[in-house]
Amino acid sequence: MPERVILTIGTKKGLFVAQAPKSRRSFALNGPVGSGVAVYSTLIDKRGTPRLYASSCNPFFGMKVLRSTDLGKKFKETKSAPAFPKDDGRALANIWSLEAGYDKKDLLCGVEPASLFRSSDGGDSWEMVTGISNHEHARKWQPGNGGLCMHTILRDGNRLHLGISTGGHYLSEDGGQTFVAANQGVGAGFAPDPYPEFGQCVHKIASHPAAPGRLYMQNHGGWADWSGPGGPRPNIGVLRSDDHGKTWRSIAEGLPSDFGFPIVVHPHDADTVYVMPLEPMTRACPGGAPAVWRSENGGGSWKRLARGMAKKESYFTVLRDAMDIDDLRSPALYFGTTTGQLWIGRDGGEEWSCLFDSLPPIHCVKVAVI
Amino acid sequence: MARSKDITIHVPRELRAYCKGASELMLSATSVRAVLDELERRHPSLYRGICDDTGAVRRHVNLFVNKDHMRDRDGLDTALVPGDEIIILPAVSGG
Repeated sequence: MPERVILTIGTKKGLFVAQAPKSRRSFALNGPVGSGVAVYSTLIDKRGTPRLYASSCNPFFGMKVLRSTDLGKKFKETKSAPAFPKDDGRALANIWSLEAGYDKKDLLCGVEPASLFRSSDGGDSWEMVTGISNHEHARKWQPGNGGLCMHTILRDGNRLHLGISTGGHYLSEDGGQTFVAANQGVGAGFAPDPYPEFGQCVHKIASHPAAPGRLYMQNHGGWADWSGPGGPRPNIGVLRSDDHGKTWRSIAEGLPSDFGFPIVVHPHDADTVYVMPLEPMTRACPGGAPAVWRSENGGGSWKRLARGMAKKESYFTVLRDAMDIDDLRSPALYFGTTTGQLWIGRDGGEEWSCLFDSLPPIHCVKVAVI
Repeated sequence: MARSKDITIHVPRELRAYCKGASELMLSATSVRAVLDELERRHPSLYRGICDDTGAVRRHVNLFVNKDHMRDRDGLDTALVPGDEIIILPAVSGG
C-alpha cells in the first residue's frame, strides 16, 4: 500500500481521521468517532503495525483510551484507562497527552490533575509513574485556565521531559524514575517571583530527534506590561534550551506577541521552529489576521507566514496540541482552530489553505506519513 | 436489617456496553453504597462510569432510589428494601 498522510483531529465533539496520498491534494475525512465526547490527545504510533490512539474525555462517565489498528476505520476502547489509586485523593479529570514509550507496546500518558501513567501493553493496563505523580511539588501545582494538565511528554533516550500547566518543565535523566524541576530562565507572569523554581504555565515544549539537547518552549507570555510586584516580564513566552532543558533563554524578540500555545519544530532542521502568536488577553489572532511565524535560525529572527489566510476579521485560537508538521521532503504544517477549521500550510508554511472549515472546535491535531 | 434479594439497577444506554448490553441488573444489597460495591466487583468498567477514582459518584451522574435522588435521602447510606430500584441517569447538561 502506498504511503499516505494520516491526520488525527481531536475535537470537542469526537475524533476525526483524515487521509490523503503523499501529494496532499485532497484529504478524505472519517468521523466523528465517539460522537459528542471531547478528544484532547491522540497518538499515531508507527512502531510495528501502525496504531492510532485517542483519549475520549466523557464529562459524564469518565475517561477512556481508544485504539485503532486499521488506521482509523474503527476504534475500540482499551481494557482500561489510567486511574489514580482509590486512596490517593485525586480523580482523573482529563487525558492530555499520549506518547510512545520505551519499547514496542509501551505508552506514556499525561493526565489532569497533572500526573504520568505508563502502559506496557498498548493501553490495556496502566500504572502511575510515581517519580513525577507523587513528586514533592505535585500538590503545590495549580491549574491553569485549561486545568492542571500534563500536556507534553518528550522522550530522549533515558531522558524524559514533561510539560505541566502550571507546574513548569520537569526533567528525568534516569528513564522516568526521578524528576527535577528544570526551569532556569523560564519566567512566570502570575507570581511575585518572576523566575520561580517551578509553577510556570508552560504551554508546550518541542524537540528535534537529531538535536536532543535543543528544546523549544511556548510559555505563557504576554507580561510585558505587568506593573505589579517584580515589574514587567517581557519576552518570557518563547524560549530555547541547548542543554537538555536545564537552562532556557528567550527567543521571542521579533514576534508580534510572545503569547501562544503550540510550538513545532521542522522535521529536517532543528533550527527551524514555528509558533502561532496570539493576543494575550483574547487569545485570538493579533488584529484578526492569523499567521504562523517561522524562525530558520533557532529563534534569532522570525518571518510571518500568512499567504492564503484571512487578512482581517479572523479571531480564532489555536490550542497547544492543535498544530503539527509532517515529515515529507517538503513538509506541510497543519493547524486546527477553536472555530473548527483545519488548515494546511504547504511548502513549510509558505502557502495556506483550509482543508475543512466546519468541524467542531479543534483541540488537537497530529500527522504522520504511514 | 434484612438483606434485600431483589434490587433492580436501571443502566443508561451509554453504559450498557460495560455490562454486556444489559439495561437492567438485579443484585442483592441493603444500601446504595453496597450496590456500588457490588457493581465494582461484578462490572468494574460500569462502576468506573458511575464513580471516579476516589469512589465518589461522578459529578454529572445522578443516582435515584425509586423516584428520589439519593442526595434527598441519605446519599450513599440510603437503605434499600426488596423491590427498590436504582436508576442511573446522566445529568442534564449541554454545551
